[in-house]
Amino acid sequence: MAMAALRREGRRFLLSPVSYNTSGAARSAIPSDEFGSIGARSISTQVVRNRMKSVKNIQKITKAMKMVAASKLRAVQVRTENSRGFWQPFTALLGDTPSVDVKKNVIVSITSDKGLCGGINSQSVRVSKALYKLTSGPEKETKYVILGEKGKVQMVRDSKNSIEMNITEVQKNPLNYTQVSVLADDILKNVEYDALRIVYNKFHSVVSFIPTISTILSPEAVEKESEAGGKLGELDNYEIEGGETKAEVLQNLTEFQFSCVLFNAVLENGCSELGARMSAMDSSSRNAGEMLDRLTLTYNRTRQASITTELTEIISGASALTG
Amino acid sequence: MTLNLCVLTPNRIIWDSEVKEIILSTNSGQIGVLPNHAPIATAVDIGLLRIRLNNDQWLTVALMGGFARIGNNEITILGNDAEISTDIDPQEAQQALEIAEANLSRAKGKRQAIEANLALRRARTRVEAVNVISY
Repeated sequence: MAMAALRREGRRFLLSPVSYNTSGAARSAIPSDEFGSIGARSISTQVVRNRMKSVKNIQKITKAMKMVAASKLRAVQVRTENSRGFWQPFTALLGDTPSVDVKKNVIVSITSDKGLCGGINSQSVRVSKALYKLTSGPEKETKYVILGEKGKVQMVRDSKNSIEMNITEVQKNPLNYTQVSVLADDILKNVEYDALRIVYNKFHSVVSFIPTISTILSPEAVEKESEAGGKLGELDNYEIEGGETKAEVLQNLTEFQFSCVLFNAVLENGCSELGARMSAMDSSSRNAGEMLDRLTLTYNRTRQASITTELTEIISGASALTG
Repeated sequence: MTLNLCVLTPNRIIWDSEVKEIILSTNSGQIGVLPNHAPIATAVDIGLLRIRLNNDQWLTVALMGGFARIGNNEITILGNDAEISTDIDPQEAQQALEIAEANLSRAKGKRQAIEANLALRRARTRVEAVNVISY
């Protein structure tokens, strides 16, 4: 990340001359032949001043990004909380059984499209990979469906064969339920599954985002589990109204459940992304501020050192002439 | 004994309080639910949901499909979208209906026809919700 690299640079700048390969803006400001050890004449104040200007610009940018993320977060947070009540009846009726053992698992990982949002995407990808290991075995098949650019980039590197579908640019237009239900339909059409596991970052507060897994069973799996008893066993207590069979109603129900849970998951992940970006940009601005302080000190020292050297030269030259 | 009704959509909670009776339309007709009804899980069609409040007044909600679960005097209705009739502007609903009808006549191909049909039913439900006679 840019800020981490600049921080490293700053420390090395103060300690010893080194060559480094980091972001371009800082590099161009410091040509290597000007470097000597601290206190030597060869560091010009111009160089340090350029450096300070670029760090200040970066600080302004990260501060602006933080404020943008904060304002977006307020709007999305309200919608997320409203959508949370929507999937609870499903869990009350069908139960959420992450430990269910089925043959075909599909892991739906939700990640962000844009970067600079802290570690949430790597966290999601790590959880997805762990889930993959947990659910694979003899006769079992696990596939990925990835939403979001960042997840795609990370997964394509080593799990290319298991990726069933890739969906990007979900967040481009403001999210609404219709769009997500179309997406859910798409996914359901293209993958065979016994259990769908959605991996996303749940938004608990502005500083805490916990990776969560929601499990949705296919109608056949629900039938199997209801025979085994437990929460799903109570499903049979309900009569089915309307001219449909129980199987049709179950299928309808699970599709509806998937689109609701997906809607909530995408909103929560969006909130987490904005919150993570806020805190990442906040720490970036603070680091930039610290660097600026250190650079100011160096600048002043350099300036005073060069003034002192000039004075010394003039005085010794003058005394050589007269004395 | 009163029923506890909860109507939810993905964007917000439409209704959450006690009622005396509800009439909801499933795809095999309208069913009325009184207290102590047998437990039911059913799909809800695009249509009107009528709620009888504790003061014997009827309230109409335009419901755009979803699911209903009834059990133990607790009714949970999950809808794709729902609007209370007092929130619907009659002019705007009428215009939407006309636009939907025009779209239906212009629709080409099976998929467009089906979508236009659904849009028409939704618009018609909203107009009916505004015009319904309360008794």
